[in-house]
Amino acid sequence: MTKLSLRNISKRFGDTRVIHDFSAEVDNGEFLVLLGASGSGKSTLLRIIAGLTDATSGDVVFDNLRVNRQSPRERDVAFVFQSYALYPHLSVRDNIAFPLALDKFKPWHHIPGVSSVARRVFGAGKDVSEKVASVSAMLDLDQYGKRKPGGLSGGQRQRVALARALIRNPSLFLLDEPLSNLDAKLRAELRGEIVRLHRLTGKTFVYVTHDQVEAMTMATQIVILHNGIVQQHATPQEIYTRPANTYVARFIGSPPMNLMRAEVTDGAASMGGLRLTPPEGYPLGNGTVTVGIRPEHLSVSGDAGQGGLPGTVRRVEDLGADTLIGIQPDTALNLDLWELNRDELIWVRQPGQTRLMAGDPCSVQFQDRLASYFDTETGLNLAAHREAAIAPVLPPLG
Amino acid sequence: MSTDQAQHRLQQAPHKFRLKAPGQRQFSKPFRYIMLAALVLFSGFPLYWMLNTALSEDSELYGQAQGWWPHWERLANLSDVIGSVPIFKWLTNSVVIAGGTTLLSLVFAVLAGYALSRFKFHGKGAAGFLLFATQMLPEALLVVPIYALFASMGLLNGMGGLILANVAFTMPVSVWIIKGAIDAIPYEIEEAASVDGCPRVTTLSLVLIPLILPSIAAAAVINFFDGWNEFLLAKTFIAERDLWPASVGLASFIGQYLTSLNSVMAAALLFTLPALIFFLLVQRRIVSGLTAGSVKG
Amino acid sequence: MSLRTSISPPAVAQDQLQDAPSRHHMWQRISPYIYVGPAVIYLVIFMIIPVVQGVQLSFTKTPLVKPDGGTNVGFDNYSRLLGSSQFYNSLGATLLYTAATVIFAVAIGAGSALLLNRAFKGRTLVRAIITFPWAVPTVATALIFSWIFNRSDGVLNEVVGVFGVGQQGWLVDPKYGMAAVVLTSVWKVMPLVMLVVLASLQSIPAELYEATRMDGAGALETFKAVTWPHIAPTVRVVTLLMTIWSIRRFEIIYLLTGGGPVDSTNTLVVNVYRQAFSNQELGRAAAIGALGLVLSLLVTVVYFIIERRNAAKEA
Repeated sequence: MTKLSLRNISKRFGDTRVIHDFSAEVDNGEFLVLLGASGSGKSTLLRIIAGLTDATSGDVVFDNLRVNRQSPRERDVAFVFQSYALYPHLSVRDNIAFPLALDKFKPWHHIPGVSSVARRVFGAGKDVSEKVASVSAMLDLDQYGKRKPGGLSGGQRQRVALARALIRNPSLFLLDEPLSNLDAKLRAELRGEIVRLHRLTGKTFVYVTHDQVEAMTMATQIVILHNGIVQQHATPQEIYTRPANTYVARFIGSPPMNLMRAEVTDGAASMGGLRLTPPEGYPLGNGTVTVGIRPEHLSVSGDAGQGGLPGTVRRVEDLGADTLIGIQPDTALNLDLWELNRDELIWVRQPGQTRLMAGDPCSVQFQDRLASYFDTETGLNLAAHREAAIAPVLPPLG
Repeated sequence: MSTDQAQHRLQQAPHKFRLKAPGQRQFSKPFRYIMLAALVLFSGFPLYWMLNTALSEDSELYGQAQGWWPHWERLANLSDVIGSVPIFKWLTNSVVIAGGTTLLSLVFAVLAGYALSRFKFHGKGAAGFLLFATQMLPEALLVVPIYALFASMGLLNGMGGLILANVAFTMPVSVWIIKGAIDAIPYEIEEAASVDGCPRVTTLSLVLIPLILPSIAAAAVINFFDGWNEFLLAKTFIAERDLWPASVGLASFIGQYLTSLNSVMAAALLFTLPALIFFLLVQRRIVSGLTAGSVKG
Repeated sequence: MSLRTSISPPAVAQDQLQDAPSRHHMWQRISPYIYVGPAVIYLVIFMIIPVVQGVQLSFTKTPLVKPDGGTNVGFDNYSRLLGSSQFYNSLGATLLYTAATVIFAVAIGAGSALLLNRAFKGRTLVRAIITFPWAVPTVATALIFSWIFNRSDGVLNEVVGVFGVGQQGWLVDPKYGMAAVVLTSVWKVMPLVMLVVLASLQSIPAELYEATRMDGAGALETFKAVTWPHIAPTVRVVTLLMTIWSIRRFEIIYLLTGGGPVDSTNTLVVNVYRQAFSNQELGRAAAIGALGLVLSLLVTVVYFIIERRNAAKEA
């Protein structure tokens, strides 16, 4: 398959709308990540692509063929479940061989009783065994062949699930939060494995997660979903540097982008005595605007005379390579930190260590060319309103 | 009550705590043991008496001279004791009937249990209700019309007809057990099988059935012994003595004096023993099978 | 600079799409019925239709030897029944038998469960023995109990003789027939109550007992506060089950007394059987059966009403 096409997919469970009119085109070889919080509809969307759930309306199209009525097998997809869904009564080797054995079934092999024999016989065949061996080697599972899933760790089970998906060499790999049940270290390891498999197979991967680190490090394209509505569909870079709205801005990045309200006069935003000049070509009308700036694009100094926003240091978190500093702006400034800023602090990320401590007065400097500006009511990035020629991906900043 | 509160209470009134609990138990202990002994006697006596009677000679039985201690030595000649009672033929019939009932019941149960567990469809509620409601119908009421039905179909006096009738009564329990077992298995495993290319029937045979074997075994045992013990339908639908299952055969001896009582009792013991043994062995399995199967991984 | 919210717009027009081939879809819709069908059809043939036919039969006079050669007599059977003392005797016997069996079975079963709830040496063996009656086939039960109850040579008479009571015809004396049958039934059925209630008892968390003990509660108070509320639903369900089973029970009664002595144990189901196979009157048998069914339904309805009222009280 060269192209996966989703058109106007909508899904409703009873009275609840879980997915609203989702459309997207995915070229062969992309690693598409569906990113969102729980309940955003991402898993449902994946299952609709797989054929495990039917859409209420809309089409799933593989290469100009509408596959809505096809079963998952007919669509030639592989699915990796969050809970691995391995066959508990079969050994690792038999689990991996299962899809291949099934592929050899003629219609009459499905008769109950015959099928048990057929599975064993086909699963033991020479070509199947070879493929199982090579896939097991690829995923470091050689020594576990005879074990049952119950005797494996979470990470090992996930590898078996990956092997089972891999062995059929399908046109499309679908993964539903495969790493969510693993601890942080294993997650990092297996992330690499999955990316490696993507490169090896060159096939299209659609990957669901709520973890933005996974999304940012693995994806070639990311779709951010919130309550079933697409917030943004772009490359990781674009999502990071030009979030489409405040939801995306706050979802990606840790700590999230700082958002605050400012008054616009004469094409510049002012808040708390600071005047920010928007980047070139950002037309700001008069009124209020929400300014967004990432922690790494701020700097803080203990010297109040430097200009910038005065405030008091409240939190210092030394991460080793960087330090996070949480600053409470002077209340005299009457700064309106946007509602999502729950801890009411402006966060700054600084390389290395700092001498500042909680309670120290300080001032925050903005690299205002790197700020984003959002409409206060809709939350949309004001840059989206501009008409411009479609530009290629922005070069890395910094 | 939190442990803190409990601790507090303990500190406040240690005497209360000490006195009541053990003292209480000491008082009721002998009472409990007497009741338990009575229960054991009550439950166990008839079986023991059956054994005792089987091992007694005719002369010892009548005239109220039956001893209390069984003549164990006569066990060796049990086949002689049984004498003219064709118990082995009857037991074979029982096995055939019970086995056939179980097999057919289980087939229906797996299919219907799976459907009720996994499918959503019109009439699902009605089907479930039907299975439940029919449990209340007494066989005695249904015997007459089924008799008429079988008479017109020529199914009387055959084990096949009896098996067919039995299944209607044993199947609902099995459906319920298997449905419960399938409910306990995560649906994702079936979805994985579907992705791997299994149509539903293959998922059933390759994935589900191996995983619910304990429950199937429990249902099988329950069905088998329903068929083993069954009397009314068998009596109504099988007239030929040679085709009688042991239940009907043994019942024919109640209240008659032609055949020696010890023979009859010995035969009855043979009829009872398999049920007893199986039940003891499988009892724990039945309870766990009834409360749905278990899945690892 | 631009902000892209989607990578590229849809390219192909709707009407250029074909559907990929699939046999899967058709199956989806009919497979539930294929799976559940056999069981349902089976039950309809062997349960529903017979009930309907039974009702039809009840409006006829049909001899046993010619099951389909009945003549229509309208409500004759019913009016005869409702005017006959024999029928009311049957009804009374059923009610008495049911009440007695249920009360004793539940009481003894629940009591056994309470006794077995605490561990003691040999508990496994004791529990196994108490479960025996359930495992023993009904016919064997009837066989041994009829011997035990035997007037001239049964052991029961031997035992009561020790206490100075004369030989009783337990199964042939109208005074005792019902008691004998109830005793046998209770013996047979009690283990099930015990097992079910025991399972419920053992699911009570130990902390609850400790807490009430800390409060200084005695045995009776503990029972009222902790034990009973927990097992009450189970006991109610098993009581309903026992009730329905008692109304249905045929073999024990028929084999021990055949409905006698003097019809004292002639419950509805036994009556049906005798009418059909002894008197050879299928129509009359069916009529009794129909009325018996009404009784079962009544019991279930009453049970559900009580249950709903209980649930409302607790809500």
